[in-house]
Amino acid sequence: MADLSAHSARFGAVNWVGFATLYRREVERFLKVGVQTVAAPVMTTLLFYAVFALALGGIVRMAGDTPFLEFLAPGLVMMTMVQNAFSNTSSSVISSKVTGSIVDVLMPPLSPMEWTCAYVAGGITRGVLVGAATLAAMALFVPFGIANGALIAFHAVMATMMLSLLGLLAGIWAERFDHISGITNFIVTPLSFLSGTFYTIDRLPAFWQGLAHLNPFFYMIDGFRAGFIGEADSNLAVGVAVLIGVNAALWVAALVAVRSGWRLKP
Amino acid sequence: MSPGPAGAARPAGAACPPREIGAVHWLGFAALFGREMWRYLKWWVETVVGSAFSTLLYLLVFALALGPDRQTPEGAAAVAYVLPGLVLFSILTRAGETPVYSIVLDKLEGMIADVLTPPLSPAEITAAYALSGMASGLITGAPVIVFAILVLDMPVLAPLAAAGFAVAGALVLALTGMLVGLWAEKWDHVSAFFGFFFIPLTFLSGLFAPIDRLPEPVQWLVLANPVHYVIDGFRGATLGVHAVPLWLNGLMAVATVLVLWAVTARLIARGWKIKS
Repeated sequence: MADLSAHSARFGAVNWVGFATLYRREVERFLKVGVQTVAAPVMTTLLFYAVFALALGGIVRMAGDTPFLEFLAPGLVMMTMVQNAFSNTSSSVISSKVTGSIVDVLMPPLSPMEWTCAYVAGGITRGVLVGAATLAAMALFVPFGIANGALIAFHAVMATMMLSLLGLLAGIWAERFDHISGITNFIVTPLSFLSGTFYTIDRLPAFWQGLAHLNPFFYMIDGFRAGFIGEADSNLAVGVAVLIGVNAALWVAALVAVRSGWRLKP
Repeated sequence: MSPGPAGAARPAGAACPPREIGAVHWLGFAALFGREMWRYLKWWVETVVGSAFSTLLYLLVFALALGPDRQTPEGAAAVAYVLPGLVLFSILTRAGETPVYSIVLDKLEGMIADVLTPPLSPAEITAAYALSGMASGLITGAPVIVFAILVLDMPVLAPLAAAGFAVAGALVLALTGMLVGLWAEKWDHVSAFFGFFFIPLTFLSGLFAPIDRLPEPVQWLVLANPVHYVIDGFRGATLGVHAVPLWLNGLMAVATVLVLWAVTARLIARGWKIKS
């Protein structure tokens, strides 16, 4: 028997190696099946775009002062980014739980903060990667300008972070795969579809317009789009505040859940 | 195993008489068909409710983005045009998913032997998978159709023809799903089929917009796609708008079903990728 204590890792306040390892696992997990996790979402998003372009049949329709197809592109990109960020963390946690391999990530000396950060960073990576690939592919067909790069980057990161945290919480809560697909079908997809991806919210009846202003999905789509077309449906400062607030609350919830081991540790 | 109907009366030690199976093994067919339906209905929240829900979402998005709210006639026309396409899309998707998921799961888990060892002929196996796939597609489509007709006023000019195209389309996809299931060796293959083959081909086959809006060079791709004729026929039978004569649509649909059925039954008889 080797003396195990001689091999015990030493680390300072932050276990960087542990964090980097778990992060890399999270990234490699989705890249290994890149056809499903990157190429297919890009393809589907482009198809949505093509369908709308075809259904319009060359009619130049405006959404506000912007041609509809230019308005639609950032919304679709944001939609696919958040769906993929959610899917990455939720599927990773639930499949580890179902197969029992969750012990492999609970045993190493990772603090709840390092643990959560690694998962969330993995989700952000997938979301942003899929978004960038979709954007690049769309740019081949439709020229669109960039009004404010910082706005784009901020909303991309905040939105994918928010959905990664939600996915993590959903994965921790769920006991079976179909719990996750239930949340995806009945909550994440509708919210990402109906929060202004495809239309300006002044299309909606007054009641739903009011509701949209309470919906963080609306702000992330609106702010992200404003980074491209230079105009927003809402006050951008409010949107930024809402996104920061929601993310902060989700971080606290995720850290509390991970620390307590709720539904993770027997 | 139960000893069979005569079991109670049989003296101990006597050999079990061989069971009589007629020209068609109806019991075996029904058992496999029933298992397939159960696998589908067991997850009804996802497979029936979830599917209807996503179709309604697509519709809502179309209506809000293009619809009469925008006070343009093309908007209203586009939504009316899309409606039968979306209804059919939900039927086709489910009809393909039921057999493909079932077969790939069985292959990966090694349970496919449970289907191959019972005394079922290849024709019976094929029929059980194809008909259960078709039935699951139609069940999933039913609430969507009811909603489209009652709430959204989708016209149905020729109900019988519409039903015929729905059944034919569901069969085409159920058989295609079986072929993909036989071919696939991992889940990645299944999602590649849906992501890169099924969704693009259906989306661009006149599901949402007339094909003459497609660029000239890819129109032949649509005309070579049998699903296009099903979609066109179904829309013809509901809205009365079609690009190809209805009889030709019907002929293409029936011919596709027959060819796919023959190929699938042949591959199952050979045990292609399912028997070692």
